[in-house]
Amino acid sequence: MDDYVYEEKEDSEGKKVKVLGPTYEPGKPEERDDWRAKLKTRDDMVGYLKTALRYWYSSEWYGSEKRKQEA
Amino acid sequence: MSDERERSIDQATVELLEKARKEEISTVFSRADRIKPCPIGVEDSCCKVCAMGPCRLPRSKKGEQQERTGVCGATIDTIVARNFARKVAAGTASHSDHAREVVETFLKTARGEAQGFAIKDEVKLLEVALDFGIDIEGKDTTAIAIELGEKALNEFGKQHGELVYTKKAPLKRQEIWRKFGVMPRGIDREVVEIMHRTHMGVDQDYRHILLQTTRCALADGWGGSMISTDLQDIMFGTPVPVLGSINLGVLKEDQVNVIVHGHEPLLPELLVVASRDPEIKKLTEEVGAKGVNLAGMCCSANEVLMRHGIPCAGNFLQQELALVTGAVELMTVDVQCQMQGLQGVAECFHTKLITTSDRAMIEGAVHIEFHPENGLDTAKKILKMAIENYPKRRHAVYIPDHSRDIVAGFSHETINYLLGGLFRASYRPLNDNIINGRIRGVAGVVGCNNVRTIHDFAHIAMIKELIRNDVLVLTTGCAAMACGKAGLLTPEAAREYAGSGLAEVCEAVGIPPVLHMGACVDNSRILVAATAMVKEGGLGDDISDLPAAGAAPEWMSEKALAIGQYFVASGVFTVFGTTTWPTVGSENVTRHLFEDFEGMFKGTWAYEQDPVKGAQLMIRHIDKKRKALGIDKARERVLFDMAMRRAIE
Repeated sequence: MDDYVYEEKEDSEGKKVKVLGPTYEPGKPEERDDWRAKLKTRDDMVGYLKTALRYWYSSEWYGSEKRKQEA
Repeated sequence: MSDERERSIDQATVELLEKARKEEISTVFSRADRIKPCPIGVEDSCCKVCAMGPCRLPRSKKGEQQERTGVCGATIDTIVARNFARKVAAGTASHSDHAREVVETFLKTARGEAQGFAIKDEVKLLEVALDFGIDIEGKDTTAIAIELGEKALNEFGKQHGELVYTKKAPLKRQEIWRKFGVMPRGIDREVVEIMHRTHMGVDQDYRHILLQTTRCALADGWGGSMISTDLQDIMFGTPVPVLGSINLGVLKEDQVNVIVHGHEPLLPELLVVASRDPEIKKLTEEVGAKGVNLAGMCCSANEVLMRHGIPCAGNFLQQELALVTGAVELMTVDVQCQMQGLQGVAECFHTKLITTSDRAMIEGAVHIEFHPENGLDTAKKILKMAIENYPKRRHAVYIPDHSRDIVAGFSHETINYLLGGLFRASYRPLNDNIINGRIRGVAGVVGCNNVRTIHDFAHIAMIKELIRNDVLVLTTGCAAMACGKAGLLTPEAAREYAGSGLAEVCEAVGIPPVLHMGACVDNSRILVAATAMVKEGGLGDDISDLPAAGAAPEWMSEKALAIGQYFVASGVFTVFGTTTWPTVGSENVTRHLFEDFEGMFKGTWAYEQDPVKGAQLMIRHIDKKRKALGIDKARERVLFDMAMRRAIE
């Protein structure tokens, strides 16, 4: 914990608080993080589309165009 | 001759401009000194669509222009609207012909007829197949890809109905397009219809011409450009964050330097593959070089950077300067934004300029045509030419010692993933942080370089002003490259340049305050991201309700006008910069685009030469939208009990 850098900031009521500063790992990434490779099977892929991109591929969501009462 | 330091804010550019001047090499900068913009052309008040003219109707100091007409009686409003429409048609045609090439290669890939290509991103294939209404159940990847390719190709020649992708737009937006009769039917049809309507003696009501201009532009943004982006993603992979480097310092003195320039990423993808071939590596060693250094220029650079981390040598105004280093063995060009002046610069050195598209040749350049059937063989042939050329360097090499790390690859799918992870991917955190005020709004800053302004200055001045005021910036094209060179495309830039609210969010998510979303066709990614924000909820029912704005502060090309027009027609307040705006010749046309469109399409144009003032216009618009949404003031959080929850249902 002693290695971490703390910063003093104001909270929502204006009180001074100590918060954890940036915690970047040193160095540069050597390869890209291809998150899409985690989706291995057809079911994984379709499931992801229906949840993550539900706006277009699922009826199970409640966004601005699907609310029960008009804005 | 002016001081080179006044031409660009980029030190590498300044150093090579000084070298070019000393060696008397003609560049876009020196040619711009010799050629002043035509005073009539600059306001587009000249009609040359028939042989009874050309009829010039410049604005006079006495305001007599309204009474003057062309020989046929065409008013200045008709003439200026026609000229604007033709520019938008050319821009739409450019993105969409790029798309056609991509679709044809995609189909050949699906049918096993393209050498070196593959369907790399099955998730994206399924996503786009669903967009096109393809039943994916029980079908293998090849069958889906062939069906998708055929349906995508049909979008170009379709005569009736609505383009498939327009269904992705917010429902309210689709209704606006239908109400004004601008829903695009087929990509090619909208371009052809503009060329017909602007022929002598056809459409002669500027308002009516501008409606077709809008329909044509929508066929670009929600048609050609979107098809390009999506099918490229399927073939080459949807971009994910990748570390790269940028600026002319990425060239290597002891390596064979090959630059890919243009817009279509088809051949560049295969050059990446071929550069790793053992035969190529062996040949490189035989000529005494330490390797093949592939680098990108303009939007081809964005494409290979986002998917492979290939270094980016620079943006539009740096294309000739890359050759001035004397270190470039070979440059390939395909289509769009490649200056004919390149050949003259190449002849001053040992550099070979290779044209690769059957649609674009340059006098004096070597033409090696790319066809997907033997694409990999062509890529290897080109690399072998470059390697053979390495020992022929005949000038001292000068590579400016300027390059920077950047993080690129923020497709809308990746932004969605970064905001929630694999199981809770969503635009909700972005919307929440806009609603709570940490992020004031979102801006798309895109577009070209223009030699009539200081290279990269307007991009950086505008974007710094935006992020300082907590506006998250999405960027593409040459604007994105300017940001990279200025150090705005790393997560650390949030702390240095962003306002405290935006910086907090960027640090929490681990993203830069300026997100590199790709090439100029990838502005379609911004449309989809904006739509996702709308659909997620809490920020209105339409793109025009979002606290968002767009800009192209250094625009130059007809493609930029097509992009601007489809952003406006999609409900975005859009600011263009540089030294002129192409409808200033007609007050009525300008008023219609800048004022009446706001009432019709809830989005409008603005023109502001000063990039900081331009940013302030965007921030004012964002604040206006925040007020309309009722999120302009901090509100006390109310914890809903069950009775209150039932009441809202």
